[in-house]
Amino acid sequence: MANFQADSSTRRRGRSRTSETAPPSLVEILNRVRTEHSTTRQDLERDTELGRAVVADRLAALNEIDLIDESGLGVASGGRAPRLVRFSTERAHILVATLDQHALGVGIADLGGRLIMEHHEEADLTGPVSMLCDRLTTLFRWIMDRQSAKHELWGISISTPGAVADGTETLFQLSTPPVLPGWEHFPLVERLMEAFHCPVWLRSSVEAMTMGELHAGSGTGCRTMLFVKVGKRIGAGLVSEKVLFRGAQGAVGLIGSVPVSLGDRTGTLESMAGSDAIAEEGRAAAERGQSPLLTDFVRRGQEIDALQVAQAAQLGDRAAIEILSQSGRLIGQVIATLANMLNPELIVLSGSIAQSNDILLAAAREAIYGACHPLVSRDLQIIRSQMGSSSGLVGAATTAIEGLFAPSTLREWIMAGRPQAHPLFTSLMTRIATEVQSDNKAPNPPAKKRGEA
Amino acid sequence: MTITGLGPHGEHASAPERVLLLPEDLARSRTAEFRVAIALHTTVSDWAKQLQAGLVGTLGGAGVAVIEVADCAFTSDVQIEALDRMIQNAPDAIVSLPVANAKVADAHKRIAAGGIKLILLDNVPTGLLPAKDYVSLISADNFGLGKMAAESLSAHVAYGATVGMLAYDADFFATNEREIAFIKWMQINRPDIRLVTRRFSEVSEAGRSTRVLLDELPAMEGLFVVWDTPATEAAKVIVAAGRAVSIATIDLGKAAAIELAAGGVLVSVAAQQPFRLGQTAASATVTALLGRILPAWVALPGIPVTPDNVVESFQAIWQSPAPRELLLRKRLIE
Repeated sequence: MANFQADSSTRRRGRSRTSETAPPSLVEILNRVRTEHSTTRQDLERDTELGRAVVADRLAALNEIDLIDESGLGVASGGRAPRLVRFSTERAHILVATLDQHALGVGIADLGGRLIMEHHEEADLTGPVSMLCDRLTTLFRWIMDRQSAKHELWGISISTPGAVADGTETLFQLSTPPVLPGWEHFPLVERLMEAFHCPVWLRSSVEAMTMGELHAGSGTGCRTMLFVKVGKRIGAGLVSEKVLFRGAQGAVGLIGSVPVSLGDRTGTLESMAGSDAIAEEGRAAAERGQSPLLTDFVRRGQEIDALQVAQAAQLGDRAAIEILSQSGRLIGQVIATLANMLNPELIVLSGSIAQSNDILLAAAREAIYGACHPLVSRDLQIIRSQMGSSSGLVGAATTAIEGLFAPSTLREWIMAGRPQAHPLFTSLMTRIATEVQSDNKAPNPPAKKRGEA
Repeated sequence: MTITGLGPHGEHASAPERVLLLPEDLARSRTAEFRVAIALHTTVSDWAKQLQAGLVGTLGGAGVAVIEVADCAFTSDVQIEALDRMIQNAPDAIVSLPVANAKVADAHKRIAAGGIKLILLDNVPTGLLPAKDYVSLISADNFGLGKMAAESLSAHVAYGATVGMLAYDADFFATNEREIAFIKWMQINRPDIRLVTRRFSEVSEAGRSTRVLLDELPAMEGLFVVWDTPATEAAKVIVAAGRAVSIATIDLGKAAAIELAAGGVLVSVAAQQPFRLGQTAASATVTALLGRILPAWVALPGIPVTPDNVVESFQAIWQSPAPRELLLRKRLIE
């Protein structure tokens, strides 16, 4: 370990110990390097106002725990080329997953949030949580086997279909929140921690996708962005000053619950314009014989879902085009209200319907531009996401990385060089191990007597 | 036949009919004098030859000139060099089968940055996004192929059997999907089976890896190999060792078809449709060049092939008569 852990007995009275003063400056230096705000020793000395010896000492410490790399050279401005100080994104990996209504995505990312590999497959989230946990564990182990043999695992981050209440006490999960039905009875977070020995983060899929879009998609470099996911549920994520806005309870953007009207019908946005509504309208159009393509689907024994309506619309089916246009207009009206309130520079529409189809996007655009104040709409860009479900995986990785390197968290583990040394994590692992032990020791229920039912 | 897998970014598959070229499309394309370059992982395998036939032929029918077909020899550096050379020649589009992920990602990103349309086959390098870095991915339903192989092999192995899997040691979307699907099907439907995986980096290692599996697993009854060329190498080793191991694989190359017809150790093939894949990739390329929107992922279903239907499957997939040796083995000729 570096000299900031030197024996305190040699120090003079009254002077603070290095082990007490080092963490704050280590945290500051590491985060400046990680976010590329400072890229040389000279930058660090100037930006942190720390002395040359202190900066050198802290960099030596960070070097020793492989969190920075000083092998590269920068551009010389007269004299010798300065050594670049770069964050070692390959120091560890983060396992990521997205849980959607009908699909499951998994992947692995480095500490820079770069997705190294991903896999998506259909899944049924209404099944037992234990099955979901087994599938996640199997896929995570497969990825670790393929990708992470030489790297430590520092976290697991999962995006979920429902909102995750903001845990203000810590930046990683201390227990399994009841995000989905059944989760209140199954310790998913604890099982993953036990299996992979690392902290776990959870975020809503809309929040994770917003983070992903901001980090690696169309929102890169944006200060203010509104992200809207259209599926069975309709939700929005808000980025303000390049930061995800989470609100008081982590429940920002539940716009699917906003009431909307269409003729004499009134309902929530989700029930009137979500994928279930699109599918239902499609089935009705097929039954009425208004849509030749959808009627043909039914005649061939196929069940109509929202994606088929979208495909029929893309192929020119007039009834399907009207269904998607109507959905786009309703979504656009609600987004326009938000846009007038928040004045975003970019609105990104995501979700399989919005991404596979231009009609919904065009109708939403028309409604938004038509209802926005000229100042709001003047430079406003409305686009569809290009990242698909990958945005959820990238966003999940970003969530874990921001959690790991948040100064209040980082301070607790930086001296040990790995987040598993965080006191909350170690106590949590002890608790989980004790619970597992007591479960294993629990006496078997008495055997039934003969003749008992 | 439905598509069971999801795309590289979780997309739902679009059918090849989405990129169907109408007579007016062909007429417009013929007057535009488009130029296209092609970079393949190899040009010598049966699969690659079929793909090229469908691709180049359909492009020709649309009046598109193919100015280069590069054989990247499964090597990242060769592909990077080929793509950079192609970019210099400024074709209207490049059709590429990326041989790796992260290693070739930047070279593929340079294509769209140079104003050239990129159509990908089978694999998307890490970090590339549809509509931004590439137009569309055209591939088989590799997840479905893996499931198909598992289901067919399952019928040839007893309860509690040991099954080996010869997997590819490269981060490649298509083979990853096949491997994940094979394992998933077995875990759900045949939890009694013990699965053991060994990986090979090059086709030439497949025989050696098979020998290791045979030594390590004296009770091995079945073997899944992620594509046909290494599978035929594995079959030779198994026959030479005198072991009774049933093999299932993916892709119906000529050698695999003949082996299958012989009723030997190769018991089933989940076949891609490379000729049709090539045709679809060509249609997608022309569609993109005409400025029309394409789905992010177009997928073709697989075809289950057994010794019983190998002749007609060969004809359907290869669009040509089965070779004489295959017909001899099936005793259809003397």
